[in-house]
Amino acid sequence: MFHWLEKNPFFFAVGVFVVIAYAGIIEILPNFAERARPVKGLKPYTVLELAGKEVYKKDNCIACHSQLIRPFKSETDRYGQYSLSGEYAYDRPFLWGSKRTGPDLHRVGNYRTPDWHANHMWDPKSVVPESIMPAYKHQFTNLADLETAYAEAVTVKKVFNTPYGKEIAPGKAAFEKYKKDILLPEALKIAKAMKRDDLVKMVEQGKVPEIVALVAYLERLK
Amino acid sequence: MQSNATLEYDYSIVKLFIWTAVIFGFVGMLIGVLIAAQLAFPDLNYLLGEYGTFSRLRPLHTNVVVYGFTLSGIWASFYYSGQRVLKVSINESGFLKALTKLHFLLYLVIAALMVLSLLMGITANKEYAQMEWPLDVIVVLTWVIFGIIMFGLIGLRREKTLYISMWYYIAFFLGVAMLYLFNNMEVPTKFFSGGLGAWYHSVSMYAGTNDALVQWWWGHNAVAFVFTVPIIAMIYYFLPKESGQAVYSYKLSLLSFWGLMFVYLWAGGHHLVWSTVPDWMQTMGSVFSVVLILPSWGSAINMLLTMKGEWNQLTENPLIKFMVLASTFYMLSTLEGPIQSVKSVNAIAHFTDWIPGHVHDGVLGWVAFMVFAALMHMAPRVFKREIYSKSLLEAQFWIQTIAVVLYFTSMWIAGITQGMMWRAVDEYGNLVYSFIDTVSVLHPYYAIRAFGGLLYLIGVLMFAWNIFKTATAGRRLEQEPRYRSPMA
Amino acid sequence: MTSVEIEQLRIYLYLIGTGLAVVIFYYYIIHLYRSEKKGKKDYEKYGKLALDDELDSQILEKNPKLENDKKE
Repeated sequence: MFHWLEKNPFFFAVGVFVVIAYAGIIEILPNFAERARPVKGLKPYTVLELAGKEVYKKDNCIACHSQLIRPFKSETDRYGQYSLSGEYAYDRPFLWGSKRTGPDLHRVGNYRTPDWHANHMWDPKSVVPESIMPAYKHQFTNLADLETAYAEAVTVKKVFNTPYGKEIAPGKAAFEKYKKDILLPEALKIAKAMKRDDLVKMVEQGKVPEIVALVAYLERLK
Repeated sequence: MQSNATLEYDYSIVKLFIWTAVIFGFVGMLIGVLIAAQLAFPDLNYLLGEYGTFSRLRPLHTNVVVYGFTLSGIWASFYYSGQRVLKVSINESGFLKALTKLHFLLYLVIAALMVLSLLMGITANKEYAQMEWPLDVIVVLTWVIFGIIMFGLIGLRREKTLYISMWYYIAFFLGVAMLYLFNNMEVPTKFFSGGLGAWYHSVSMYAGTNDALVQWWWGHNAVAFVFTVPIIAMIYYFLPKESGQAVYSYKLSLLSFWGLMFVYLWAGGHHLVWSTVPDWMQTMGSVFSVVLILPSWGSAINMLLTMKGEWNQLTENPLIKFMVLASTFYMLSTLEGPIQSVKSVNAIAHFTDWIPGHVHDGVLGWVAFMVFAALMHMAPRVFKREIYSKSLLEAQFWIQTIAVVLYFTSMWIAGITQGMMWRAVDEYGNLVYSFIDTVSVLHPYYAIRAFGGLLYLIGVLMFAWNIFKTATAGRRLEQEPRYRSPMA
Repeated sequence: MTSVEIEQLRIYLYLIGTGLAVVIFYYYIIHLYRSEKKGKKDYEKYGKLALDDELDSQILEKNPKLENDKKE
């Protein structure tokens, strides 16, 4: 039997596939729904926060920052309550990271303020003198891609039943309305809290720089 | 069909992949040295404006070395040794020959788009699977073409039994295909939102903890099926061929194969120890990681024993040096990995520089050394010229060996130092160090690591020069060498 | 199916699958050594496949599908 397998590439390949797929079938496939259940009171990301998450992804913050507080006293003392599975229910993709060159950010919204972030992203050394993080000045001039973030909200609402309200609907018109009524006021609040006039002015003109979206996202991490 | 008298193995595709391996190897490791230096000297982040920060360049480094350098090396080896152990030439089928060209062409397209999109920050942001969905589609297409070529060659083979290397290549094909498909399941947002936003943007099919599970099932097994399985396929061919010694125990190689296939996939959970994935999966990840030592060492010991009675070749032939050291580093990193996945060790090691340290003693010591040896073994046969310089090869070996040692020792110390400082408490139970203290202390180790990387890069340059001169200026060979590669 | 049922199914699948894999694996080891001892099959000869890999090298076992068109 074995020797036959070694000489019949097709059945050999099937055999190999069964052996390597086995672990996945047992470990991953069942119980997907169970782990995807959100904790009570968890709201989906607003479009501005999603746009901020896109900035987080674009500048690849996970290269140096984790979003996963492990259940040790040394970690809960430093970062706060350890992370729960249900808190990530709306994270597509998950952004746990695998390396902490900088500190964990899962609850950074609890202990940093928008203006601290503004200073820090403009020049990290101005707030943490020994920091080795680079400045991200381009985030103050690049505009956040709000339309794509909105498209993402529409998609997850449709495909994964993420509980958004009626304001999230397909089409350009719905997006423009959402932007004017909900998104820009939200961004303006953040921009004002960041205490930088240039950012406030930009948002008032209907333009949202990347940094405003990013800070909205970081503020949400609690 | 042509008769065997005029039929020859077709190396045209092998040559192309040799060149891409050399070029991507240099570029990828150059970026690696730059980002290593950025951690020690942060001002280096501003060389390319928005596009030159550590965070933007890191995925570029990993993608170029994994999918540029390593895959090129693997494919060069596959197209070379695959023909030979099956005793079939690509020339025998015009269809397959055309597909190999298409394979290479698509590969270049992917590489160019990948570099461009990552620089622009277009990314799915899953480690080692950053490419967005349009690229994923081309990747899948390329993979299918590779599969057709492989099984096409197998279908035409003269030798009925598949040599063990072919087993590993088949597993490489299947494993990557399965994992890649599942991990990159994503929904393009433009199509579901009434045409809003960027067309290339997508959102992952899985959320949160599930996404993490699938991602590390992939992430870990990308290591298995790109950095281990095909590299073992290479060493099972190139070490016996270069030394003229058959594999020490063919039976052991078969047993290790099945052991590796079964066990490796379970170990993915060790990336998620102490996270929010269910406890039993974390435990399973740890336990199977330890079990994984057996098949890994089975292969490695088999390789080392292949040299039994022929250890003098180690001093005489630099290619044997590369391969024996590669097996040794394979043993080291397959012991180190399981140690790190033990829960109590993982509590300290996870998130620290010990992890990149572990990855790099594997990839620099095992994967890259094996790729160098394979390319150098193929060069005289493919270009029909003698290897340009033996002394250059010897020098490269020693420089790179020192480089790897500098790299992983500094990262071990850095990782354990930082891991211990994060958890250090005073007599009242308060944390002793602020986070930035644990960063500042790493400066010397980051500097040593960057220096080690630089040494390694110099070795790569020597290698590239050696290959280039071999192809253009080496002494011509009348006859294909049988075992040991001739070198001047 | 409820999640408890899935959980149980998973456990059974795991135990049976792993048990089966272990049995087959050990049987394979025995098979390898026994068939060599009995002289039915010499596995070690396949190690030579890497060494004698020219197109005109001796073929260990011919692929029967190609027998017709490979008569040189």
